[in-house]
Amino acid sequence: MFDVILQAGASVLLDPVTLGLMGIGTLAGLLAGAIPGFTIAMGVILTLPFTFGMSPIQGLATMMGVFVGGFSGGLMSCMLTGIPGTPSSVATTFDGFPMVRSGKPGLALGLGLWSSFFGGMISAVILVALAPQLAFLGLEFGPWDYFSLIVFALTITVSLSGDNMIKGLIAGLLGLFAACVGEDEINGVARFAFGSDHIRQGFAFLPVLIGLFAFSQLLSDVEDSAKAKAPLMKNSAEAIRVEHRKAIATVLMNWINLIRSSFIGIFTGILPAAGGSISNILAYDQAKKASNNRNEFGKGAVNGIIAPEAANNATAGGALIMMMALGIPGDIVTAIMIGALMIHNIIPGPSFIQDEPLLAYGVFIAFFAAHFFMVGLQAFALRLFLLVTRIPMYILASVILAYCAIGVFALHNITFDIWVMFGFGVIGYFMRKLGFPLAPMILGVVLGKLAELNIARAIGISDDYSLFVTRPWSLFFLIMAIVSVLFPFYQNAKKDTLFTKMYVPISMILLALPLFLMGSPVRMVVGGILLSAGCYFIYKRSSILKTI
Amino acid sequence: MTNNKSDIIIAIFLLCFSGVMINDASNIRDLGFEGMKADAWPRVVLWLLVVMSSVMLGKSYLKFKTVSDEDNENFSINLAKFKNALICFGMFMLFLSTLDYLGMLIGGILFVFGLLTLLGGFSHKLIVKHLLVSVLSIGFMWMVFTFGLRVILPEGEILRVW
Repeated sequence: MFDVILQAGASVLLDPVTLGLMGIGTLAGLLAGAIPGFTIAMGVILTLPFTFGMSPIQGLATMMGVFVGGFSGGLMSCMLTGIPGTPSSVATTFDGFPMVRSGKPGLALGLGLWSSFFGGMISAVILVALAPQLAFLGLEFGPWDYFSLIVFALTITVSLSGDNMIKGLIAGLLGLFAACVGEDEINGVARFAFGSDHIRQGFAFLPVLIGLFAFSQLLSDVEDSAKAKAPLMKNSAEAIRVEHRKAIATVLMNWINLIRSSFIGIFTGILPAAGGSISNILAYDQAKKASNNRNEFGKGAVNGIIAPEAANNATAGGALIMMMALGIPGDIVTAIMIGALMIHNIIPGPSFIQDEPLLAYGVFIAFFAAHFFMVGLQAFALRLFLLVTRIPMYILASVILAYCAIGVFALHNITFDIWVMFGFGVIGYFMRKLGFPLAPMILGVVLGKLAELNIARAIGISDDYSLFVTRPWSLFFLIMAIVSVLFPFYQNAKKDTLFTKMYVPISMILLALPLFLMGSPVRMVVGGILLSAGCYFIYKRSSILKTI
Repeated sequence: MTNNKSDIIIAIFLLCFSGVMINDASNIRDLGFEGMKADAWPRVVLWLLVVMSSVMLGKSYLKFKTVSDEDNENFSINLAKFKNALICFGMFMLFLSTLDYLGMLIGGILFVFGLLTLLGGFSHKLIVKHLLVSVLSIGFMWMVFTFGLRVILPEGEILRVW
């Protein structure tokens, strides 16, 4: 084990090429995160074509740099101009911008930077500790359990992706359908090819994803002619000297907030499709509730900067845990990373860490190292950011559209892939305009083939469909799926209804059942705790029952 | 852009799309092997899509009936709002259709130049700026992919004849 970590460490940290690529990736991520209208996913998508010719570890280390850099890049624009660079830095604006306006820009940037660093480090430790254990657990999964896990991943994506659940479900189903087109994995029979040899091969995963996400985003960015022609930022900003020492001391003094926010970030990252855009606001909210000086929030509070920045970087570690351990993407960025791994003929899943330990631990180490690059390159990235923001969006969008075409062609050297990207770009654009969330569709495309393969395996092994509800893990994920489907109703329901009072305790009791069925002492204890807590909450709220 | 009217139209479109695809699913060959047939999973997905689209149609129709006529009348497709997106679609289609003749280098430069000029404006100064941006950006990317990453990008008839 230790020698594997050493070898993986050497392949990342002692190879100047890998280190250089990771540095470039981090810089690209910092810029992509900082530029409003761009997202971290866009940064990773644009880096992807360059990684085709690299070794798997070099490619993944580069993307890890973009991933980590992107989460921290957002703080530059939100603090200096009040405009969040990415959705994952929205809450940083609430206190970061006022602190800069009050004459402490160096401290504000330092707090954001070092909170990101420490949040990322905490999640990296949890990633290394938890991912192999979770993967070990994943080895227990049969095709029934895996199928139910995918159902859960899709339902939670739908429930977290917006107000309109029906549209989310339709988007997810369209993604699943897109994955059906072409030869099926089991029998090799053509489906929905309409006589085209190209469609018979199916849609390659990355052109679909780049089309849906990047292409449609760029079209939305140039929609408004006046905005597209103006420089990216009107508010002027200047390069600032970061107060590192004071910032480190302040962040460490507020260690409870740091740790709490990091764990919020990790947990949010583990949930499929719940990324930094949710965790930063959750952490900010919790920091505000826990603070003795709530009135300070919104006026430049130190904890108002530490919480969102620690949480959004920790989300990256959480998302990686699911990707590395179970092959389920934690967010859109990890969905793209799964695509990148597939290019190198590596399929992430429970056996990934065992089968490819050098690569898996290489990713862990790259995740650690990228945080050091992020701190080291922030000052340089800040200067570059100030230069890039003078360019109008229509110039960036036009060049990037052409670049997307070149990058997609490089994937398989066929023009049809560019047509696929274009087609899905048009679909993605209209879906955005019509209020359909894209995350469920992307997850549907990523998980569609895996879902079909597992249900086919399950039916092939036994025609007893009751196994989906009698196998403990499968039952556990199906209950989680039902709980997640009901979650938006719980959120929107009035406080004093029977449903809102009973939703959490009954979910706990139901989830305890499969844990008892698993038989292992630890899981039975966890099940017991859930059952007791559920019963306690019902008892406590029984007065409401009586009144109803 | 969304309102109840647009949702009704989309739901009907999705129902038609599902219908066409369910019909096409009957053309999927059955090899006669044991286990799950090749058309089973897509059929499940498509029927779920039919159910969800029907729910969306029903919900939108009920809302359409309950809100005031004025709110429903407010929906209109403003093509001017999508002018830039339509320009991008058109230019990209043109670029793709001519890729075999022009190749990635010439086609790419023309695409970026054309798009920049259509989106940014036509003054002399801007045209020179757009030409510079298109030549430098596509030239740089072409060199990186051709010489750095060893990707054989479409050469096109014109460069091939040369």
